[in-house]
Amino acid sequence: MWKRLLLIRGAELLMFALLIGVPLAVQNPYVLGLLTLLAIYGILLIGLDVTVGYLGQVNLAQAAFLGLGAYTAGLCVTRLGWGMPLATLAAIGVGVLLGALLALPALRLEGPQFALATLSFTALTVTALNELEWLTGGAQGLSLSRPPLFGHLLSAREFYWLCMALLALVWIGMRNLLASQWGRAFEALRDSPIATDAMGVGTYRHKVAGFALGSALGALAGALYALNFQYLQPQTFVYELTVILLLGVVLGGRKSLWGAFVGASLVALLPNLLSNRTLFEAISGVGFLLSLFAGVRGLLRRAMRPFQALAPIVATFALVVGGLLVQNTEDWRKAIFALMLFSVVVGLPEGLMGFASKFLSRLFRIPDAPLPAASPLEQVLPAKKERSGAPLLELRDLKRSFGGVRAVDGLSMTVRAGEVHGLIGPNGSGKSTVVNVVSGLYTPTAGEMLLRGRPLPRGSLFDTARVGVARTFQNLQLFTGLTALENVMVALRGAFPKSRSMPLVLLGLGRREEKRAQADALALLEFVGLADQARTPARDLTYGAQRFLEIARAVARKPDLLILDEPAAGLSHPDMLRQIEVIKRVHQRGVTIVLIEHHMDVVSGLCDVVTVLDGGKSIAEGTPAEVKRNPKVIEAYLGEVEAGPAASPVPTAPATA
Amino acid sequence: MTLSILAQLAVSGALIGLVYALIAYGFQLTFATSKSINFGQGELVMVSASFTLTLITLGLPYWVVVPAGLLFGAALGLFVERAAVRLALEQKSEGWILLTIILGLFLFSVAENVWGRDDRPFPTPISSEPIHFLGVDVTPVELSVAVGVFAVMGLIEVFKRQTLLGKAFEAISADRDAGELMGISATHTVMLSYALSGMVAALAGILVSPITTVGPTMASAMILKAFSVAVVAGLESGFGVVVIGMFLGALESIASYSLGSGWREAPGLLLLILALAVRPTGVFGKAIIRKV
Repeated sequence: MWKRLLLIRGAELLMFALLIGVPLAVQNPYVLGLLTLLAIYGILLIGLDVTVGYLGQVNLAQAAFLGLGAYTAGLCVTRLGWGMPLATLAAIGVGVLLGALLALPALRLEGPQFALATLSFTALTVTALNELEWLTGGAQGLSLSRPPLFGHLLSAREFYWLCMALLALVWIGMRNLLASQWGRAFEALRDSPIATDAMGVGTYRHKVAGFALGSALGALAGALYALNFQYLQPQTFVYELTVILLLGVVLGGRKSLWGAFVGASLVALLPNLLSNRTLFEAISGVGFLLSLFAGVRGLLRRAMRPFQALAPIVATFALVVGGLLVQNTEDWRKAIFALMLFSVVVGLPEGLMGFASKFLSRLFRIPDAPLPAASPLEQVLPAKKERSGAPLLELRDLKRSFGGVRAVDGLSMTVRAGEVHGLIGPNGSGKSTVVNVVSGLYTPTAGEMLLRGRPLPRGSLFDTARVGVARTFQNLQLFTGLTALENVMVALRGAFPKSRSMPLVLLGLGRREEKRAQADALALLEFVGLADQARTPARDLTYGAQRFLEIARAVARKPDLLILDEPAAGLSHPDMLRQIEVIKRVHQRGVTIVLIEHHMDVVSGLCDVVTVLDGGKSIAEGTPAEVKRNPKVIEAYLGEVEAGPAASPVPTAPATA
Repeated sequence: MTLSILAQLAVSGALIGLVYALIAYGFQLTFATSKSINFGQGELVMVSASFTLTLITLGLPYWVVVPAGLLFGAALGLFVERAAVRLALEQKSEGWILLTIILGLFLFSVAENVWGRDDRPFPTPISSEPIHFLGVDVTPVELSVAVGVFAVMGLIEVFKRQTLLGKAFEAISADRDAGELMGISATHTVMLSYALSGMVAALAGILVSPITTVGPTMASAMILKAFSVAVVAGLESGFGVVVIGMFLGALESIASYSLGSGWREAPGLLLLILALAVRPTGVFGKAIIRKV
């Protein structure tokens, strides 16, 4: 515990102490300029990492926010005569505002469309800065002089310290934020936006907040940039810079403050690296040897695909040979950068720091942070003492069609509190559509849905989750990059009252909630028998364990109504028995359950009532034993049956895909 | 602004817009098979045009040079697929966005150093003497753009519908897994789509060069607008990109005349952001039903 804190915090303190100390020892204005740029880029890239690393979106707008922040601060100083603090705040305000404005439409998009939208924003920003000559001075540029801070004119060295102090503040704030529910929510919605909404976390809210935060940091960096260089030109903030920034984050390592910092140093130092021939040769040579070593090792151990092993070797070899052949490396700046990036992106997808931190934690044997003891179950999932038998969920004449297909065609059913209500039917009978309509993924075409007599939200997973309906997914929708424990923590209902406000979290006021949430989540993992795998990333769990985790996560919502969509699909027999036990225990806590299932033994063992669907309509309802004998049900499963043994059991149909 | 000037601006703008449409069509080809696009496509346009110009200056006749340029573009497309896209697709990551950007950066730098940073004229046997037609002036060079664009898009659409290979292409686009189960190699189909896309980019470069001149930055503005066209029209409809491309070309030509040439890029970018806000799947795209 102490070793971990000492090493990690120690390294951070040491780095900042060194960076602050350098100008005392070295009286070189050139070095000072570089260090200032490093601090500014550090802030910029930490901001960019929020979207690129945590939200997992390729964001090409960060250079635009640097420019917008710089021009806002510059104009506030020159036109309005504002001081440094006000001008900087104004820049941050513009960053938040425009960031949110861009995020609102753009974040409905995924992948390439998002990248394109942000790219267009950058191009549009440069056009506007260039063309609004009356405001920005256009291509002529904008000159300003740094105003005094509280009556004191800062020297270059003092300004550098100011930038470093801001970088340290940003660092601490972001560390607090990213280790909180916010950071988890960012990663959760990267892995599965649908499940994030279904867990009541609110994809949209978090995306917009994350993007606005990243943009605000970009604008802050811009304000410092303007106050440092005291001359601005629109041409500085073009596409090329945005690409280099993006690649800096990837090169340094995503989802890591250190990674952003390493990326920032590379971006800041790159021009110098190229002008010094010997240094360049040394670096490319080392890069070549490293990739040769790693590639050959990876091939021999069959841990890498041939392309992944060979491509970095070829690229770094081209760097070495090119460096010897080419007259002026400055001319080939972009190609050199491209080759370096190519080798890192292909060979080290986690970036330099992703690789280094794994290596270092193994070297120093840094233990994981310890987990608290699990909370008592009664606190996490209080047993409900609700009057049983009262209608909880009522569907009246529910309809949903896709084009001409009526997937649900006038379904009416009542789920009573405290019961396990089975929903069965042949493939294509509309079971999954019913679940998707009730849970809010689809909007019903017609009909009524009531929870405790009050209308259920329509067509919003988030709102439905918020009124106490939780669900699992037939095709698993876990947050694959998060650990089992974090998966449950994301969904914990009511565990983070303080963490809802981002400023409080930035100040580090959410720590106690965090401990308590860990204890609660651990109790739920124990409840489904996964406590020993709390730290395993969800993607590395066995298939059965992933199914149990889906249930633990849904139960963390403390739901009134839990919808289980084929919880036993694809499970081995022992796992299925275990799953039945888990569901029974959830039921014993007083949670009402709607169970969609194909396995008749699961249904018979668990359900109080069963509704049978066919063609989007209910064709029978009753206890499992009654339903099995119902001729209509037998017909729906087997086709028309002539006189024969009446009680032929409903067969176990294969799971729908 | 008189009506005749407006018509003139609209027509010549729309003809340039067809080039955006052609590049956007190249995005659609690869998006169909692999859900990926080449973010360095502009560099493919530029490098292919520069290569073709080199062949012309070597004294080869135009009608030999053009097919050579197209083949060169196809080869570049294959290179992009191999170096930047395949690994990321195998890993189901979005690494291809970064890698194609990186490759574009690399090609840009190579072109700067091999062909220089200056813009050079691109000689063509097609005349640029304007023809007066229905009250507007069009040059044969501009018309050749329209002819080339429609010809190659038509040929590719016929190929997709009428040949076995084309049907394999459509099958993989519709359902990759099912196509593979029917014995079609998805990898080969993706390669084919990247080769076609590279060829289309080369053609766009060759067609537009006589109008814009050839230089490293010749495609950097064009590619942004091609992106806009592809996204606004949706990444499925070939007809859609032609309509939106011509519309955008006309719009920006009018904008640059009435607001000043610096604002030339603005309508496309605004259109893009607006379209994304209102209809993220594109005007001609299909709505996607989310399944879980």
